Amino acid sequence: MSGSAKSLLFTAVLCVVCSLLLTAASSGLRPYQERNILIDRHRNVLLAAGLIEPGRKVGEAEVEALYAGRIRELRVDPEGRILEGAERARPDGLPLYLIQEEGEVRGYIVPIDSRGLWGPIQAYLAIDRDGQTVKGFAVTRHAETPGLGGEIEKEWFRRNWVGKKIATREGTFVSVAIAKGKVEEGVPESKRPHYVDGISGATMTGRFLTAGIRDSLSRYEPVSIRFRRNQIAEWEKTLPPARP
Amino acid sequence: MTTAAARPWAAVRRTAAYKEIVKALWRANPISKQILGICSSLAVTVQLETALVMSLALTGVTAGSSLAVSLLRKAIPRNIRIIVQVAVIATLVILADELLKAFLFDVSKQLSVFVGLIITNCIVLGRSEAYALNHPPGQAFLDGLANGVGYSSVLLGVAFFRELLGSGKLFGATVIPEAFYRAGYVNNGLLVLAPGAFIMIGLFVWLEHTLLERK
Repeated sequence: MSGSAKSLLFTAVLCVVCSLLLTAASSGLRPYQERNILIDRHRNVLLAAGLIEPGRKVGEAEVEALYAGRIRELRVDPEGRILEGAERARPDGLPLYLIQEEGEVRGYIVPIDSRGLWGPIQAYLAIDRDGQTVKGFAVTRHAETPGLGGEIEKEWFRRNWVGKKIATREGTFVSVAIAKGKVEEGVPESKRPHYVDGISGATMTGRFLTAGIRDSLSRYEPVSIRFRRNQIAEWEKTLPPARP
Repeated sequence: MTTAAARPWAAVRRTAAYKEIVKALWRANPISKQILGICSSLAVTVQLETALVMSLALTGVTAGSSLAVSLLRKAIPRNIRIIVQVAVIATLVILADELLKAFLFDVSKQLSVFVGLIITNCIVLGRSEAYALNHPPGQAFLDGLANGVGYSSVLLGVAFFRELLGSGKLFGATVIPEAFYRAGYVNNGLLVLAPGAFIMIGLFVWLEHTLLERK
């Protein structure tokens, strides 16, 4: 057999062996990985809702217990009506999470799907029951550069969001944008409630995330309007009753 | 040291494993003597936990790839040997990454790209190309293991000082007593940042070179 034919054959065999190994590992480990991702998603929903203090390590069991007790997963249609039963499978339905306590809605959580510099960014933005004040923000998946865009998942950046407003006092939607640099330095006083501090060296990540948040929030604007007008009695009925 | 206690050590000292590991720890330490693998040692040494997991992953990959390349060394066609080695290393790195994602999800999130970047770590390809390709499997495996241990020693050393002085913690548990902070002690923020790691690694290089010179 000639030299190059041998090389080709060797490469082919090596590739097949490597791919078999990787396929076996990938499919064998998938159930574990998917469970980890689910727990991590729940943990970030709770983090956005402010139900887990930042920096504290919370075990799997505690995450699941908190999530089951305090978060309610709903699907709503684009007009902000709750979808029930068979309607839940509607393709234009949107996932929404309610934060509940003792039979009352304390706020809601909007999933954010955004582009990033290197790949999609998935995050959660929790909003108070007034329909405009941000309760918290947490990133659950991203592929940004560690140390630059990757800072979006850090606590200092998340803390930035608490108390910001997605709408003006009159109720007009404006979203919350990521400023270039510090808010105090570059944003006029009247607009500061709608801006958070940017990350230096990650202008593009900020720009993508700002657009992604605006898109996601505008899709959920009918829901936010219901909250702003306090028309959520129907929603509260869906909650389990308060414990005596 | 008494002679009775020294004797079992003498036997251990004669073994090939001992010699290899000592060599990789001191005379030919991948980080502090050969200045390889600096990128990951700057990035993952903020905490001991991430440094430990990274060390285990790299040691596993280096030992595994050296063993595999050594087993295949007679079959690998010379003209494509680098590609073959990279394929073997890449497979092992992806395996390590998948395992971390399945069983150590939080740490794997913190390590992010750095596990994947083991592929480009010069230590792994260096040992495989320079040693495993022309040594039998047993020795090659040992050499990979020894170099992994050498890498880990510096990584853990740097992480120990960075976590202790930078955040006052070890393995995430606070060790600097509250009273110190009340008395005015402040964590050194520089050590949490990458330049702090650079200085720390520099100190390790200096220490190792000076100690060796004395001998």
